[in-house]
Amino acid sequence: MENKTLGIYLHIPFCLSKCGYCDFCSVAGSDKRTKNRYLSALSKNMTQISRQAEDYLVDSVFIGGGTPTVLPPQQLKKLIDDLYRAYFVVESAEFTVEANPATVSKKYAELLVASGVNRVSIGLQSADDGELRALGRIHSVKDFEESYHIFRSAGIENINVDLMYGIPGQTTESFLNTLKYAVSLGPEHISAYGLQLEPGTPFFEQKDTLALPDEDTEYSMYCYAEEYLQENGYEHYEISNYAKPGKRCRHNLKYWNCEPYLGFGASAHSDFGGWRYGYVADLKRYVDAVEAGGAGDRLCAERAVHTPSSFETDYVMLRLRLCDGIDKKIYEALFGRPFDSKYAERLRPFEAGGFVQNDETSCRLTTDGMYVSNTILSSILDF
Amino acid sequence: MNDNQKNIRNFSIIAHIDHGKSTLADRLLEATRTVSTRDMEEQVLDNMDLERERGITIKARAVKMSYTASDGETYTLNLIDTPGHVDFNYEVSRSLNACEGALLVVDATQGIEAQTLANAYLAIDADLEIVPVINKIDLPSAQVENVRREIEDVIGIPAEDCPAVSAKTGQNISQVLDAIVRDLPAPKGDPDAPLSCLIFDSYYDSYLGVVVYIRVKEGTLRDGDKILLMGTGARFEVVEVGVLEPFGLSHTGTLSAGEVGYLTASIKNVRDTRVGDTVTHAERPAAEPLPGFRAVQPMVYAGIYPADGARYGDLRDALEKLQLNDAALQYEPETSAALGFGFRCGFLGLLHMEIIEERLEREFNLDLITTAPSVIYEVVMSDGTVRYIDNPSNFPTADETKEAREPIVKASIITPSEYVGGIMDLCQDRRGVFFDMKYLDASRVELHYDLPLNEIIYDFFDALKSRTKGYASLDYDLKGYEPSKLVKLDFLLNGDQVDALSFIVHEEKAYARARKIAEKLKDNIPRQLFEVPIQAAIGSRIIARETVKAMRKDVLAKCYGGDITRKKKLLEKQKEGKKKMRKLGTVEVSPEAFMAVLRLDEE
Repeated sequence: MENKTLGIYLHIPFCLSKCGYCDFCSVAGSDKRTKNRYLSALSKNMTQISRQAEDYLVDSVFIGGGTPTVLPPQQLKKLIDDLYRAYFVVESAEFTVEANPATVSKKYAELLVASGVNRVSIGLQSADDGELRALGRIHSVKDFEESYHIFRSAGIENINVDLMYGIPGQTTESFLNTLKYAVSLGPEHISAYGLQLEPGTPFFEQKDTLALPDEDTEYSMYCYAEEYLQENGYEHYEISNYAKPGKRCRHNLKYWNCEPYLGFGASAHSDFGGWRYGYVADLKRYVDAVEAGGAGDRLCAERAVHTPSSFETDYVMLRLRLCDGIDKKIYEALFGRPFDSKYAERLRPFEAGGFVQNDETSCRLTTDGMYVSNTILSSILDF
Repeated sequence: MNDNQKNIRNFSIIAHIDHGKSTLADRLLEATRTVSTRDMEEQVLDNMDLERERGITIKARAVKMSYTASDGETYTLNLIDTPGHVDFNYEVSRSLNACEGALLVVDATQGIEAQTLANAYLAIDADLEIVPVINKIDLPSAQVENVRREIEDVIGIPAEDCPAVSAKTGQNISQVLDAIVRDLPAPKGDPDAPLSCLIFDSYYDSYLGVVVYIRVKEGTLRDGDKILLMGTGARFEVVEVGVLEPFGLSHTGTLSAGEVGYLTASIKNVRDTRVGDTVTHAERPAAEPLPGFRAVQPMVYAGIYPADGARYGDLRDALEKLQLNDAALQYEPETSAALGFGFRCGFLGLLHMEIIEERLEREFNLDLITTAPSVIYEVVMSDGTVRYIDNPSNFPTADETKEAREPIVKASIITPSEYVGGIMDLCQDRRGVFFDMKYLDASRVELHYDLPLNEIIYDFFDALKSRTKGYASLDYDLKGYEPSKLVKLDFLLNGDQVDALSFIVHEEKAYARARKIAEKLKDNIPRQLFEVPIQAAIGSRIIARETVKAMRKDVLAKCYGGDITRKKKLLEKQKEGKKKMRKLGTVEVSPEAFMAVLRLDEE
């Protein structure tokens, strides 16, 4: 019998400082003791669950945050060793660690490579130091470039660079410069996210005083990214993601393909064994819950069982984030009815407006459609 | 006059808004121990929440008091409260006709205002004896002697010895009671004559049916009598008659000439008991009805729709219930392509309309979409027939009509003289025709204008207030219909006409209004997936245009760490929000945005 595959996500909720737009679960300035306790809980949490995943081969690992590389190298290495002890991570697995510029030495990078890390995701955000300051980033463009080369020379052959548009003070010209700069370094993967103002963040509170680019400018930035990156050999494969052929992020694809993944750490989400669940986002509560035995009702902030209809909604919602969209044969095999019997009529007005392409074999959002995908999805999906 | 009548005084209190009418009424109730101070809820007579909040009286009320005067005699004082707004002028006039006298309350700091005058004239028309009462003498800016002079000079009634009081503190209230007994006449009327009673108010009670407030002018009414309402022709058998105590009805079994009280007769609907109608005995009717009865006609119309189309039935039930108590409210079903099923409602005026809207929202928990208010237009068609248009979308095209006419009111504005210029500009802007201007004293002026009603139903009060720091006051009366160059202004969204946005406007003002509404539409219509052209048109002629740019961005850019649930919840919420949207053609607009467009706050 063919073994089932699994993705694993580990959340490191620590940063050197918190950026003004960030609503992820991360805290700045935690002391050593807090970090130690959290890391022990994280390892314990992994181990507690591992028996349920005995039949799975782990083919993607993603250590994200926060900034995983704020941890001392040995601590991160221990976490990875604990992971290997608890799960069967295959040789060919994609193993990503997120890193912020100026947090990694040559030695650190070599240690990561030696531990099996083969992909690094670095947050550049902008090639303009003024824009970086506006975002509250604590690194410069030069810091980024140094880190990039450190990873390259340590042997990382798969690098993602995170970019951002819609930054306060940003212009289409400066964004184009950022794109050019990123491409000139030749990473395998580029993510370009539109800045999102999330309630509870300082940016959200100040949104009226931030010099944010207007909706039309932001849209043209999105178009620039798509055009420029494609011209330079990056395939646009998801709303915010571009990759050289063969370099799409396997781990993130699991989210969009509704494949199983386990997340560990505060605020981590999982889709496993017919359930979707998310852990509490509070560090202390997470640690306490794990130490108390890891019972689901204390550990989980939310939990829902997949029903056939919720699964179908998830599938369509997530697959339409991908440029490949929905393969109608696969859809029919999964859900036992033709895609068009449910969606053709609902999609018609969006097709007419050039937001959707719905042909014989597949259905996908166009570039314009992706950028208004909430409008389209909220209109066609049943919840 | 019999002994019984000798000791009765029937009176109203009339005043400009905020001059202290209801507060004075409260003090009279206290002073006569009709209501103990402990039980005194502020302003007993205004017992609707809305009335207390707005500081206005919407419905007439009446209450019986007992007062032992300095002559040792005990008097029955029937206070008949009147609505305090121009929308309800007819009701005021009927209430006054139920009395022999009136207290004219004038604020010692403000002096005579437009409604002081209007109400005083109504009282004089009704042959009432008027006792001026100068109120708010406790305020440092009170100018009692000036106001006395003003009352004598402007209204022409003696005020030298009139009571000067503070209704707030109770100062000199006994002087008012003494003046009522001394200066107001006792009622007349023969208890044995054929019955005639004036209806001055009624309300629906779910146990008793309609409770009718009456003043017996002639004859005697008893429990069990068979009665005829002479205006509507309706017949009933009286269940009970009695008097009006402050906290309820008090059954007495009989009411005779000169008395004020109530009757019940298992009446199902207030439409049968119109204010101003005459109650008489079916067997031995009065020779003729009391003068002045007319069916009230709505002056202002608007479409009212439920924000949630599924609540049409609830809206209908609510209107039905409100109409039980409000004969002036009219409604009939109407369908709008844009807003779905709703009702075209007729109101006495804009205040009446606001009150109904507020009551529907508060008491029946409805969210409403209301179209811009409109007046009734008279249109002479090409074939000579006359049509009355209460809904702008039914306004015929220019080539179908010979002439259009609009209602004109005679408006009286009283203002400190420094604001005259600003008011003249305003009236000019509202197509007013200047009639005359009189100095009430060295610093105050009364202006008379003829104004088209459709120019004052939107925001005239607000504009007047803002130009005069709140000092000017307004009163108006319908004068009649006059020919006018009216056009129907339509709005098109994405090429589709939106019927609910159409309105009638004078040709000269069409362009400015069109631009203004088009701009408002642009600002309030959320971006759609496609660009939305907004056009304002008279017939096929486009006179203004704007564009709502296409929505560019509505995306959750990141979907981090596999948190699918959050994204799903966001979309679900968005879908919920969309259900409340109204489709105006191909354009989706929230009820809030629609209302924002129709809110005509000038300047």
